Amino acid sequence: MTRLRLGQAALYLGILAAWELLPRAGVIPRLFVPPLTEALGTLIADRREYLGSLPTTFGEIAVSYVIVCGGGILAGQLIGASAAARRMLLPVLRSAYAVPLVVLYPVMMVWFGLGSESKIAFASIYAFIPTLLTAVAGVAALSPGLAETARAFGATRAQQILYVSLPASLPSMVAALRLGGALVIVGVIVAQMLGAADGLGYLITRHRTLLNSPGVYAGIVLVLGITGMHEILLRRLEQTVAAYRQS
Amino acid sequence: MRRHERFIVAAGVLGLLGLWEALARLGRLDASLAPAPSTILEALGRLLRRPEVLQSLGVTAWEALAAFVIAVPVGLLIGFTLAEVPGLGGLLRPLVNFLFGVPKSIFLPVFILVFGVSIPQKIAFGVFTTIFVLIMGGIAAVQSVPHELVTVSRVYGATRLQIIREIYLPAMAPILLESARLGMVFNITAVLLCEIYGARDGIGYRIAAWGENLQMPQLYAALVLVAVAAVAVNEALRLVETRLGAWRQRS
Amino acid sequence: MAAAVVTRPLVAIRGVSQRFGADGAGVLALDAIDLDIPDGQFVSVVGPSGCGKSTLLSLVAGLRVPSSGAVLCDGEPITAPMPRKVGVIFQEANLLPWLSAIDNVAFPLKLRRVPKGERLEAAARMLALTGLAGFESRLPHQLSGGMKQRVAIARGLVQNPAVLLMDEPFASLDEQTRMVLGDELLRIWSETRKTVLFVTHSLNEAVYLADRVVVLSARPGRVVDDVAVDLARPRSFAMTSSERFGILKDRIWQHIKHAERR
Repeated sequence: MTRLRLGQAALYLGILAAWELLPRAGVIPRLFVPPLTEALGTLIADRREYLGSLPTTFGEIAVSYVIVCGGGILAGQLIGASAAARRMLLPVLRSAYAVPLVVLYPVMMVWFGLGSESKIAFASIYAFIPTLLTAVAGVAALSPGLAETARAFGATRAQQILYVSLPASLPSMVAALRLGGALVIVGVIVAQMLGAADGLGYLITRHRTLLNSPGVYAGIVLVLGITGMHEILLRRLEQTVAAYRQS
Repeated sequence: MRRHERFIVAAGVLGLLGLWEALARLGRLDASLAPAPSTILEALGRLLRRPEVLQSLGVTAWEALAAFVIAVPVGLLIGFTLAEVPGLGGLLRPLVNFLFGVPKSIFLPVFILVFGVSIPQKIAFGVFTTIFVLIMGGIAAVQSVPHELVTVSRVYGATRLQIIREIYLPAMAPILLESARLGMVFNITAVLLCEIYGARDGIGYRIAAWGENLQMPQLYAALVLVAVAAVAVNEALRLVETRLGAWRQRS
Repeated sequence: MAAAVVTRPLVAIRGVSQRFGADGAGVLALDAIDLDIPDGQFVSVVGPSGCGKSTLLSLVAGLRVPSSGAVLCDGEPITAPMPRKVGVIFQEANLLPWLSAIDNVAFPLKLRRVPKGERLEAAARMLALTGLAGFESRLPHQLSGGMKQRVAIARGLVQNPAVLLMDEPFASLDEQTRMVLGDELLRIWSETRKTVLFVTHSLNEAVYLADRVVVLSARPGRVVDDVAVDLARPRSFAMTSSERFGILKDRIWQHIKHAERR
């Protein structure tokens, strides 16, 4: 093992050890940061509760995912292909990116109530613009010759997107997917934290109000696990796509 | 954007607003859920004349500013250190990347556990959310300084201080400003999230309260206000960024 | 010819070897280079890739200290950059992209804390010398490759150094620009009579521009030939098709050909 790897391994172990030992030693109040094993223990002990929150959560994530990634990528393909559309819409979108979309959640709650619809609506809006911007950038980066060649062969707009633009920009689309997916997951969880009757975010908030910090951390660890897995899966997809394009 | 395209965009936006107004006036929209733009503007006017609303805005602005003022120098310093100190950067880089990718919002309950619901809690959470953008920006900025320019300065007898002042600072400025701008975007979002989640004051708290009490005109008016303010701040910072980065164009 | 006057060479490279890497082991880039360059001479340095031409230049520039031997300028050893005596021009113009042309040229003077009026005046003169009068306030991204190199040359000249080091300065330019700039360089040189050490890959350039061509071997670089270029000045494009030109080029090429084959 190289020195660097050893150093990093030592660093991570050190952090985990600190997480375990400092609260136990009383250096950090257990209310602020419970020992690592306690948090994990709660996760395992109350697994029914945590696992029970997942179906709702995953369902909301899934629907938002389809809306954002499907819609965002499709819109990205359409807008990205036209230089005029890009010129007109990109400045507006980039400025809109600065709007703190979190303030929309109270509106969603009024419109859709505490149920899944409000989470889906919020997460979809929250993740849409960044995904769209990534997709547009990916299409814009394609050489214009490709589209022209397709048109020269008489392809319709739809055919051009499906058979030329989409495959050619696939790596960027996967990148957009990765970004959008991550934002959707966060969007759903945050919405659940802000107001819900079910779901992982709701669980975390409930434990917080009960000052059950191991419960809170258990929930956070679970969320990190979900985002981590999503990240790994999509990186794998990105690599597969890249390899496929080489061949 | 070409000139006629600007017209198209403006016309499009105005057209949508006009349609909305018309539909609302004609009673086609549920007045409680989607009041006309004119109603919202009216409510906005009334809002801005209420001292307690202005005070809430002040609280939010203060939280955002305080978090920003702390996060920027600390984040940049950490970024510079990671980029300049050889071993340190390599060692900590994967960790920083990982932390950067982790969604910060889910840690909000932890901050409340530690600080309780309070202004320091919001400022701390704002710093926590923003600082990673600045760290990455600091690293990128240092790495963006072209080495050849440092060599040129050495050839012309520049001292260490002169190299920092004449080469590093101007070269890094565009990326630093961009990070600051992005950081501010994240920062404002974080502070508002805190206020909506649990607070005793601030415009986010009011927005949540108006939502709960179904006071829709005020709610929408506040949304417009917050959106406009955030975009204004972003564009102002972008103006500075563009001005100082004009030399980055390709010929 | 008049009787030779014994004058000290302006630049003297004495027994210089350069080794990279761990002490003892490592790569030997240059091996016992001995070179005397009199004041006002235009010397080209050529050699196969990796022969150490640029390393040699960086030693004379004071960016490195030789592993053994010494480089002397005006009798004094060069151990650090001496911006008032030695100007350097690189392959890429390396202009500061946020400064205008005139500010770029004035940059070395700014480092020396020369007052603003004085340094801008000197910079303006240099820009005029290199044919860029009127372009003072342009930013680098508004200049073509050839123009950027002219600014770089002006910057190298602004402190009126006795020696000018040029490391493949025209390598990234197209051929026509190279030819134009080559003639410009000769014009400037004849007006200012600097001592020039010009590293290049191009045999054409090496012979066309110089009084003398030094040929280095493949790594480790040794001086394998020192060709006096006896073509008349001012040089003209027609000379490049003369028999003499061809003979000189071929002589140099023979050395390089053998090295590149390996």
